[in-house]
Amino acid sequence: MIKVNTEDYPWHAGMTVRALLDEKLFTFRHIIVRVNGEFVPEEDYVSTMIQDGDDVMVLHLMAGG
Amino acid sequence: MERYLRNYDAISEEEQAALAAKRVLVLGCGGLGGMVIECLARIGVGHLRVVDGDVFEESNLNRQILSSTMNLGRAKTLAAKQRVMAVNPLVEVDAVQADLTADNAAELLADCDLAVDCLDNIPARLILQQAAKTAGIPVVHGAVAGWLGRICVIQPSEDLLNLLYPDPQESQGEERQTGTLSFTAALTASWQAAETVKLLLGKTGLQGEILEVDLMQAIVRKLKIS
Repeated sequence: MIKVNTEDYPWHAGMTVRALLDEKLFTFRHIIVRVNGEFVPEEDYVSTMIQDGDDVMVLHLMAGG
Repeated sequence: MERYLRNYDAISEEEQAALAAKRVLVLGCGGLGGMVIECLARIGVGHLRVVDGDVFEESNLNRQILSSTMNLGRAKTLAAKQRVMAVNPLVEVDAVQADLTADNAAELLADCDLAVDCLDNIPARLILQQAAKTAGIPVVHGAVAGWLGRICVIQPSEDLLNLLYPDPQESQGEERQTGTLSFTAALTASWQAAETVKLLLGKTGLQGEILEVDLMQAIVRKLKIS
């Protein structure tokens, strides 16, 4: 089990950041991903593996006022 | 005072008097700022410094409460001042027709108890965070994109915006594609105003947390920042 934005989510072997974003339908163009507090750049989504127990935060990049 | 009768006892008469002595800086008088100013003026925050370098354009009419077909082309800060004077002349308004920059930030923050971030771009928001840290005052941050809103309180010891905006070269976010909707701005701004009043009155507000509102999914989520 992992945490995604404070909620439990089932983990599976081989889960990458990219796969998680696709599973959770995070389809916005501008998002910020942190795994255990560490920022993950977009170019590393495919290569960054998520481990069982990880705490993942996915935030939309928004700055409108 | 009859004007504030319906504020009681949600806030006490002593707290009402305390609000009258507070000075709040509102940066941005657009979708968020207009509603923040409206709420703070009506509740009775005594001094508002409102800052914006823009004039109203037709594209503001979908959401910015201070805009109307009558004031297109006119300064947003002027509309803010006129609105506060009409709603609550007990509130003193210092209208500054300027954009926030690293050069004027310290002067704008001077003597203020708190700053409300209603800006519309990332570089200015980061300038504000740094200036408020130097000034030792908290910032109530709000941002919107489409159906999404976000609110957090940044204490001088924190750098929460660095988490939200990891690339300081980026100017805008999702709102470039999604636009901004009237109710998202109004809700987010109202929440900013509530956090502002809580801070001014020494009540417990958001601490190390990010509040996210998704009006399409009808979800409010509070994310703890470790």
